[in-house]
Amino acid sequence: MEAEEGKAEFEASEIDYVSYGGEHHLPLIMKLVDQELSEPYSIFTYRYFVYLWPHLSFLAFHKGKCVGTVVCKMGDHRHTFRGYIAMLVVLNPYRGRGIATELVSRSIQVMMESGCEEVTLEAEVTNKGALALYGRLGFIRAKRLFRYYLNGVDAFRLKLLFPRPEPNYSGSALPTGDDAQGLDEGKHYVVT
Amino acid sequence: MADKSEAERGEDAKVSISPSIPSGNDTVWADVSSLFRLACNDLRSDELISGENFNLFAAMSALEIMDPKMDSGIVSTYYSVDEAIDSGAAPIPLSFDRTVDVQRVIDIMDHLLACEATWHKGGSLAQTVFSCIYLLRPERTSFHALLHSFCRVIRTTCNTVVSAVSDARTNEEEDLFTMAYGLPLKADGDDKCLSMLHAVEETISRQLKACKAPLSKRKVLEDVEPLQTNLDLEEGFCKAVLCRLRFRKHLYHVLTCMRRPQGKGLELAKKHITSCLCELDSMLKSAEFLRDHCACGTLEDGAEDKTTASGCQPIGFDSTLNSRSAAPTPPRAIKLLSWTKAVNYFQKLLHDLDIICSYSLDPVFEGALRFVVDFQKLQPDLVARAYIQLLLVQEGKLYGREPMFAVICRAALLPEGAKNHDVQKNETVGQLGQLLISLLRILCTNTAWQRRKLGKILQDWRIIYVQLELAFRKEFGDITNTSTDQNLCLKICKHILIWVEEQTYWIALRFLVLGFELELYSTSEYCMVYWYIYVILIKLAEKTHLKMMLSNDSTGRRKSKKKRDFVKDVGKDYQIPPSVLLLQCYIYIAEGLMMMLASLRNENKIFLCLGPFNTEQERFIQHFELLQKACLPDHASYFSFRETTAHARFSTLSEYNCFKDAQRMAKELRGNFANDPDRMAELRRIEQVAEHNCVALNLLCRLGTLEPSLKISFEFIHHPHFAVAAVKRS
Repeated sequence: MEAEEGKAEFEASEIDYVSYGGEHHLPLIMKLVDQELSEPYSIFTYRYFVYLWPHLSFLAFHKGKCVGTVVCKMGDHRHTFRGYIAMLVVLNPYRGRGIATELVSRSIQVMMESGCEEVTLEAEVTNKGALALYGRLGFIRAKRLFRYYLNGVDAFRLKLLFPRPEPNYSGSALPTGDDAQGLDEGKHYVVT
Repeated sequence: MADKSEAERGEDAKVSISPSIPSGNDTVWADVSSLFRLACNDLRSDELISGENFNLFAAMSALEIMDPKMDSGIVSTYYSVDEAIDSGAAPIPLSFDRTVDVQRVIDIMDHLLACEATWHKGGSLAQTVFSCIYLLRPERTSFHALLHSFCRVIRTTCNTVVSAVSDARTNEEEDLFTMAYGLPLKADGDDKCLSMLHAVEETISRQLKACKAPLSKRKVLEDVEPLQTNLDLEEGFCKAVLCRLRFRKHLYHVLTCMRRPQGKGLELAKKHITSCLCELDSMLKSAEFLRDHCACGTLEDGAEDKTTASGCQPIGFDSTLNSRSAAPTPPRAIKLLSWTKAVNYFQKLLHDLDIICSYSLDPVFEGALRFVVDFQKLQPDLVARAYIQLLLVQEGKLYGREPMFAVICRAALLPEGAKNHDVQKNETVGQLGQLLISLLRILCTNTAWQRRKLGKILQDWRIIYVQLELAFRKEFGDITNTSTDQNLCLKICKHILIWVEEQTYWIALRFLVLGFELELYSTSEYCMVYWYIYVILIKLAEKTHLKMMLSNDSTGRRKSKKKRDFVKDVGKDYQIPPSVLLLQCYIYIAEGLMMMLASLRNENKIFLCLGPFNTEQERFIQHFELLQKACLPDHASYFSFRETTAHARFSTLSEYNCFKDAQRMAKELRGNFANDPDRMAELRRIEQVAEHNCVALNLLCRLGTLEPSLKISFEFIHHPHFAVAAVKRS
């Protein structure tokens, strides 16, 4: 539990959500993720995501300061068109106020409208905040990945299946990675 | 790899064809250094050329040079092992002061133990055990008998463990473990490690004896040169070294005895395990002495993190030396286990191995299954799991001695003669044997991997059932012909088919309950999970019962001839077998939990699956997709789950309380399992779950909806798979 004084004071309406707008957003995203994740990502990792799927990345601003971000991709994976949430970060003092939920919901909404059948991600089994957040959004813990992270911690593969009545795969043909598993190291640091 | 457009543009660049490298079909090797240099001038920092063969995805693999987190080529201390040695990082002797020399050798022994345990727990061999420079250059230690023999036994033990794990292939997700990357795992003469170790042990025991002898006798023993120079400390050092050497010796014996075919070395292995544990105790006891007389002066706090008993930093280790040759991925900092934790790890490993060695090699398949399932409850690590698998499956036979067809016949409760029947030559029957072997193997893997594999093989078991049915029909054609051989044949087919179904439901059940152990279900999903467990259990009980009745039909008749007073109708005093009643107990508990959860959802509106993007049905589909695909059981669907649970109310539950039935039945069954302590413990757990939930249910029936402030949660305090409801006023 965070000490109350560590929390930022703000109204939910003061948070602005912005879709990724170009190279000027890149340093903001990188700074946030670098701050929270131990895993080193080179600038090319970020570019891969935000150049190919700019409409799936969002940033949250409070009075001009970037306080949260989500970075995603989508593509074919074993005959399934699926979305993948690679990184989700909210600055510690801003956690617990629904910013992460709003960010990730926006990405998922775009994925659903683009014809994704499901959305996946991995989260550390110890990251209770993230697990609760995704659980509320309808994700199930599909698998446990033994010692998935190099620090020896297991991960859960979380999955959200969209209802299937009208399959619509005619969404814009988007470039996809050679391997949807290629960057499964996105960690999810969210405390709600 | 120059980009084509760059090449066209770079007029000044000279690209010379390099004839020194043989060219392939339509390709030649060219030196593009100058071109590359030119291209670099055009690029700013953080830019890359994007081309046909080099897209943004490929660019992610780019490593930033000189970033120690990414650049495994970065030189941290030394360029090479030789440079490290030349710089004096691993001197021999370790000190010209013989006391310090011994102290430092002990530190190396301890640090290696910490490295070895860290390796077993998932670290890479190169960054743990083989961070020891002495191990990397086997010939260098030959003038230091103590260190030399110790290094040899370490290498040999690592090699033994690597081959056990790779033979067992239990390491599907832990393949880092067996990667030896050209490390000197097998040095010349390592096979003689035991005799060398023995000679050194002998010498030190004599030294110990000499220093302990009373002054009057010392003269006789004077020809024994002491281990080191400080005679006051001689006894302590001799003892500390001896227990470390002996531990290695016995551990090596344990690992090799356990690999003897058909479990023939298990008895002997058990003895060595006892000795190993005893030496580990002595090692722990030696810690105080070593701390008091350590070579590195006074210690700061935090001795519990230290990788040596003395608390000193060992010399001769550099975990970055192998990093360039070692891993396909960037180097990762490995946190070594402390020495104390390493000792604890080996104690746990030895206890696990002891359980394997104590196993009776039950020829009944069901017994083997229960053994491995119970063993997994102890959460054994990779090495122990590899050894249990090597024992269970050898040369395609159970324990290397029971052919799979004989195992199947016994499991299907067929008479002894069946195992020699020609039907085993049938291809599909052979495949069934293979399925059984792979099932055993899967049950030995880590539970996360195991569950995924079990889910996948369900389909295979469904398919083999259909194939067997076809094969049997084809093979034996018209079964109306009633020659005795055909009777036996028919019987074998019938029994095996029932048993295959039973086994399939057993796998499905294990798949479902492992979800609890792996924490894959959220509380809002418990209702559907218990519903599924309930329907699978019903089928499992049904098949088990059918199998037993089939066998009773035949053996019962034979027995009845012997029994003179057998006049009564068999049906009248027929009793349901205890193993079926035990399943019935589980059915009651699963039903009780499902209905309690359903009532909470229907009446209290809690534990509902609500989300903005999908419904409960999608969660159901995802969780049970593999069971549904395999039609396990037929007609089980989200709609049948809804039908069963949609109208559950506490008012009806209070009239019919499943937990009471479970409790009663578990009590009655005690007499049947009195000789089986594991089953007795399981019955006790069931009773506790039933009793606890009975009380909770009564409380909920009385005040559930009236008191909205009640906080209800589900916990696994009595049983890993069956929750108990905790009702609290908030």
